[in-house]
Amino acid sequence: MVLLQNLINALQWGSFYALIALGYSMVYSILMLFNFAHGDIFMVGAYIGFGVASALIALTAMGAFALPGWLILVLTILFSMFLTSFVGMIVERIGYRPLRAAPRASAAITGLMIGIILETGNLALLGAQRVSFPSMIDTVTYDMGGVFVTNKKIMIVVVSLLLAGALHQFIRRTRYGMAMRAMAFDYVVVPLMGVPLNTMAAMTFALGSALAAAAGILFGVAYPVLDPYMGILIGWKAFVAAILGGRGSVMGATLAGFLLGFIEIFVAMIFPSTLRDLIAYSIVLLILVFRPHGFFGEAYSARLRL
Amino acid sequence: MESTSEKLSSPSMLSRINIRAWVSKVPLLGWLIGALIAVGLEMAIGTPLARALGLSKAPTLFGFLIMLKKPLLIPGAALYLLLIYLLPIGLIARFAAAALNRLAAILADFSTVFSILIHLALLYLALHLWSGLSDYRVLVVKLTLIAVIVTLSLNVINGYMGEFSCSHPGFMALGAYAASVFTVSLFVNDKLFGVAVLPAAIGPFFFPIALFLGGVAAAIGAMVVAIPSFRTRGDYLAIISLAFMFIVKSLIENLEVVGGPRGLGSQPDWANLPTVFVTTVICIWVINNFVRSTLGKALNAVRDNEMAADAMTVNTRRTKFLAFLFAAFWAGVAGGLFAHVLRYVNPSTFGIQKLAEVLAMVYFGGLNSVYGAIVGATSISLLGEALRPLEIFKWIIIPLLLILVMIFRPTGLIAFKEFDARQLIQPKK
Amino acid sequence: MSMLRVENMTHFFGGLRAVHNYDLKIEPGEVHGLIGPNGAGKTTIFNLITGIYNPTEGEVFLEDNKLNGLAPHEIAAMGIGRTFQNMLLWRHMTVLEHVKMARYSKIGYGLIGAFFGTPRRNREEAESEEKALKLLKMFGVAQFADQWVPNLPYGAQRRVEMARALAMEPKVLFLDEPTAGMNPEELVQMMEIIRQIKEKFDLAIFLIEHRMKVVMELCERIQTLVFGEVIAEGTPDEIQNNPKVIDAYLGKEIVE
Repeated sequence: MVLLQNLINALQWGSFYALIALGYSMVYSILMLFNFAHGDIFMVGAYIGFGVASALIALTAMGAFALPGWLILVLTILFSMFLTSFVGMIVERIGYRPLRAAPRASAAITGLMIGIILETGNLALLGAQRVSFPSMIDTVTYDMGGVFVTNKKIMIVVVSLLLAGALHQFIRRTRYGMAMRAMAFDYVVVPLMGVPLNTMAAMTFALGSALAAAAGILFGVAYPVLDPYMGILIGWKAFVAAILGGRGSVMGATLAGFLLGFIEIFVAMIFPSTLRDLIAYSIVLLILVFRPHGFFGEAYSARLRL
Repeated sequence: MESTSEKLSSPSMLSRINIRAWVSKVPLLGWLIGALIAVGLEMAIGTPLARALGLSKAPTLFGFLIMLKKPLLIPGAALYLLLIYLLPIGLIARFAAAALNRLAAILADFSTVFSILIHLALLYLALHLWSGLSDYRVLVVKLTLIAVIVTLSLNVINGYMGEFSCSHPGFMALGAYAASVFTVSLFVNDKLFGVAVLPAAIGPFFFPIALFLGGVAAAIGAMVVAIPSFRTRGDYLAIISLAFMFIVKSLIENLEVVGGPRGLGSQPDWANLPTVFVTTVICIWVINNFVRSTLGKALNAVRDNEMAADAMTVNTRRTKFLAFLFAAFWAGVAGGLFAHVLRYVNPSTFGIQKLAEVLAMVYFGGLNSVYGAIVGATSISLLGEALRPLEIFKWIIIPLLLILVMIFRPTGLIAFKEFDARQLIQPKK
Repeated sequence: MSMLRVENMTHFFGGLRAVHNYDLKIEPGEVHGLIGPNGAGKTTIFNLITGIYNPTEGEVFLEDNKLNGLAPHEIAAMGIGRTFQNMLLWRHMTVLEHVKMARYSKIGYGLIGAFFGTPRRNREEAESEEKALKLLKMFGVAQFADQWVPNLPYGAQRRVEMARALAMEPKVLFLDEPTAGMNPEELVQMMEIIRQIKEKFDLAIFLIEHRMKVVMELCERIQTLVFGEVIAEGTPDEIQNNPKVIDAYLGKEIVE
């Protein structure tokens, strides 16, 4: 019973990790770089979601239009994904495009720094107090033979699976997706064939950021307290998931996101919760030592382009 | 129009060239003596001068704090900076350059080692007197020196060997806790470890041992990262090192023996300025010796092409192992100093924040360069202090600065430059 | 006693047989050539002998010391120096540092010397520098000593790589297509260099080459490799007139 309950919690956590890990992974497949500001884009996405949702709720309250809660939520997710994708494109423009020829580590540093700027900028704009995410749908708890499932949890898992699936289809079927896959195969030669590297990079950042925004809102629905530093820990963990999945693999990133969720929840179930990080990271370390290229990544060792 | 503007600009161009020309003629000795005289001047007339200029007291950090806090006082603080620091140093550099060049030549001819020691003594004296004027300055100097050690040691891995290691805060934590446990349990009456075993009076002599133990603890921990590095490179190793950092942090959080998340305090006050200074100098000396030897250059060979390094008889495993343990050792020593300067540590100090800070210092200053590490650590620490009045906006300005550096000089300000103390102390022609 | 001996070496990459029953004997002072079409497995043989891959079967001896199972750097230190087809140089190291680095295994000062700059370290480093500069002079690249290698012209880079391999004081020097990408003028110079190496250094040379002219003029014995198997072995004349070789390989070249 406890096991099943935790399974559901793990699925929920895994959804956040998976959605964020997808962003890391996609950027990696195109540019061979990790976007270290991604965790903070998740945070920005959550705040944008907060703004959009508050505005929609206020408009409804003023009687501009009458929308049911679930529709507000859907609109919030879509709107915020759209808006946050621009944040991603700006990050790419400032922090990554000028560094195409630079060592990979330098781009990692600019990413980290943009992350700090996003955190601090948010702090400067909105102040230090946490904001609480508006509740758009009422929580309904279903008792399934002693296992309690809320409608929110189901919604979170379903929405993230839908988004991951949509991304998968996008990459399989569209022209952009095909170009992305080609770029992942060889990002030096493919641009010479007429695929515009800059557009593709911007697109990828936009897509990844949109997914991160969705993750941010879903996170806000589950844990309705936002603060400017919320992206750090969850972002780094999702990054670890992206690596575990194998760099540049969409399937791998999704699965590894869920896997990390499971590891964390089950470690916390068996051991005291203070040991969660210790054991979870030890497992990650062991996995990487014995399977140094993740689960789905190709087996070659990338070197720092220095 | 054009000709007038040319005429206007040419004298200033000329004078700029002149300034550069005479600056290049001033030996290091000249700058040090200039600094010493400036500090002496500040001790003698700093406070009255500051009062006369409308400042409440002598500015602690070259007037930057005052300027940012109270913009109205900018002229006063700038004038203070000019009169106390820039003018004396400039005058010495301008008019005593010839004499000091002769002196530097005599010293260098007599004995290089002796001359280097004289230069170091002058530098220490200047730092000592300058920081003697306020406790805040002492703290800033100590923390800056520690930052130099950390940055330099991280540069060994990230710059010289070209791996992106994220484990440095973890190494520092191991060093800080190992050294603290040693000193606190042996020499201090403390809640966690009970009464002191040895009299505190002989303690300072054991402090080097404590630091050494801290370094050794960090080096042992570094094996966790070093051994996977035989098979793995690049991103995966970066994650392994990141995971290591998280593991160390949460391990300490779970160790109630050393205070858990509440931290460990009441370290004895032994990390005084001379100790920190001497440790930093030794660190720079040893690391610079190492990276200039063939064994150290092997790190570059492994970075630039491992297969070629192997084919040229370089033992790549030994090289990687050595680099990680050596760098971790110094990070551990720095951690030990850090704990004894603040006289309190807790595990949350050694997290992502610290990592971002250290990485910023390494990449700002420049990869593969001892100069770069010194410049990066000093400028980021001092900038961090000087911008303190801006509060959180400091964390927008510093990252922006770093992004600009990365865009225009992707390997940092002074990358790939050899540090040669012998050359540094030479008289200038 | 031969300098380098390979017996019955076979290697598989997964299910693919890259090298089959390869035998080799190189005598001291000999220049031995290995020719064959692209993909015949020539560089694989180099990599097998130098320890980058472990042969699935077969044994390798250097003056009766068995090399199988040793790490690449150990094999190199025992006396096999090499250059690479695509020149593996170190981007951020100077020419002088390249050549000094190849003396890594000769360093005796250890960590104490490296950390504290002992007199012994200074002596050894100075000695190594002197030898390196001598080599650079011999190869006509001494004027580049303090430059990073990517700044050098192509031919000079090739020479630096050779000087580096010789700084190891090898007993056998492996040259993997030393004239690749060279114009006729550079080609003649490179052949002259190889001849000089043979005269001035006490070593054997194992040469992979694509250009017939080079192999025929320099080598004393030649093996022809096709699909991982030696189809002919002998003196340049024998090889030139061997119908199998002409069929498999030379046919095209002679027309040219």
